[in-house]
Amino acid sequence: MSVSPADWQALWVSVKLALISTALLLVLCTPLAWWLARRRRRGQALLEALLALPLVLPPTVLGFYLLLWLGPNGPGGQLAGLWGAHSLAFTFTGLVLGSVLYSLPFVLQPLKNAFVTVDQDTLDMAASLGAAPWDRFRNVVLPLARPGYLSAAVLGFAHTLGEFGVVLMIGGSLAGETRVASVALYEHVEVGDYGQAHRLALVLVLMSLVLLWGLFRWQRRPGTLT
Amino acid sequence: MSLQVDIKLQRGDFRLAVNGRLPERGVTILFGPSGAGKSSLLKAIAGLQPCQGLIRFADRVWQDERDSLPAHRRPVGLMLQKPTLFPHLSVAGNLTFAARRSGADAGRWRQVVALTELQPLLERGVAGLSGGEAQRVALARALLTEPDLLLLDEPLSALDSDRRQALMAVIARVAERLPVLYVTHQLEEVMTLGDHLWWLDQGGLREQGELTERLAGLHGPLAAGGQAAVVLHTRHRHYDPQHHLLELALGERLLRLPADGPRGDTPRLKVAARDVSLALTAARDSSVLNILPARVDSLRDLGHGQCLVRLECEGQWLLARLSTLSRDSLALRPGTPVYAQIKAAALV
Repeated sequence: MSVSPADWQALWVSVKLALISTALLLVLCTPLAWWLARRRRRGQALLEALLALPLVLPPTVLGFYLLLWLGPNGPGGQLAGLWGAHSLAFTFTGLVLGSVLYSLPFVLQPLKNAFVTVDQDTLDMAASLGAAPWDRFRNVVLPLARPGYLSAAVLGFAHTLGEFGVVLMIGGSLAGETRVASVALYEHVEVGDYGQAHRLALVLVLMSLVLLWGLFRWQRRPGTLT
Repeated sequence: MSLQVDIKLQRGDFRLAVNGRLPERGVTILFGPSGAGKSSLLKAIAGLQPCQGLIRFADRVWQDERDSLPAHRRPVGLMLQKPTLFPHLSVAGNLTFAARRSGADAGRWRQVVALTELQPLLERGVAGLSGGEAQRVALARALLTEPDLLLLDEPLSALDSDRRQALMAVIARVAERLPVLYVTHQLEEVMTLGDHLWWLDQGGLREQGELTERLAGLHGPLAAGGQAAVVLHTRHRHYDPQHHLLELALGERLLRLPADGPRGDTPRLKVAARDVSLALTAARDSSVLNILPARVDSLRDLGHGQCLVRLECEGQWLLARLSTLSRDSLALRPGTPVYAQIKAAALV
């Protein structure tokens, strides 16, 4: 008994989705987290609350709104019109957009926390040693925030991997396109195929465990700056 | 003038308004009580503390009403009060960070490492360094920026006495080429290194000018703190190994001081006001070695029965702290010729 090719395909879609979403999130959240970490501005609390919403909302709520936005009558549908499609719902691109929103706080928070710990005096010193702003970011902030980046990447990846509610609402279950592992698992259970469900579930559990185990081991490494 | 500063800055209740000039070279001691704004002033000059007004260096404007040159483009070597090393880099990495951006070459790198005696520490991480070691790294890093102006905020405070002596010599040598603004509370560093003085008090420069002259004022910064002392500039004459005595020339006069060896061609002496007493005649039967003819210049009543007397002696200033009773019984007034008995003087 082994995991079926269809399930491997679903796992691959999950992993691909998680990789792409995480990469996008790291790029997107870097300036956002930096901006939130270094300054206190008016309206910042409201913005942070909005960005943290996915932490507390039922994923189906987020999925519902996304369905409206990505659909033919929403902005996402209009965007899709640019390349001749009429909707982003039930597409892999739509899934990526959904995952990015859904996992954003899991990437944003570790980055922000890492940036907050970078001492202003250290940056001032770098400036006085001749480092221009980008040079300071590249050669002082990024190395000092490395543990934050690792946490952000692992949490973003793992969280996207475990996504279900959002995908259910906006993904449909197109094999090879939007059928991710968690949805495949749900479908096995629905039709009473517990054997398949067990195997897929076990693979997901092991993948998540290995990821988190790696993260915690790395964080406890002596000499690691956390 | 090299650096010209005319700035104002305000943070909450704290207000700083400084109008000062630095000479083209030499160490200018930035002296003042804690909370006077010394560190803020250094940061403002380095471009790290927003402020209003004018900062000009040589013929270049660093800041005026419209523009401010960003910190990374000001040719300043800065040492903050805490060493602020990069925790993700080794000692060598910290030095290279500065050298790569200033273009200091390998020869200069080795020279600075040798001066600061950092060779054995180069591969170490900065987390395990002692306070004194970290300060040496921070100083080396500041020197490797090849600065036109050096701003040092209590740079030697965590060092032991031997290392402090050695690094003071390093700083003094650097100051032969460029201006150094140097924050310290240590009298030893003030006297040894200082050529000029900026006295910062209550958010403004209360006095600025030549250090020897400022210290010898009856209202100078040390007199205000009850530790009045002057610096005497002498010339080496002779060392007498039998009695362990160093003979120094002060103008036409000789001073003799216990010492374990000669101390350069132009040693500086610190003479505290409390170590100087006055007599109207030259005592020939005194154990005090150094008795110099002098003339009373001015007097200041310190209260509590004490007074401070400024004396002119061989073209230099001395301060003596006396009781008002002695002042009255000797009938001291400006112009009175006296003999100053120097009970103790320290080579600095």
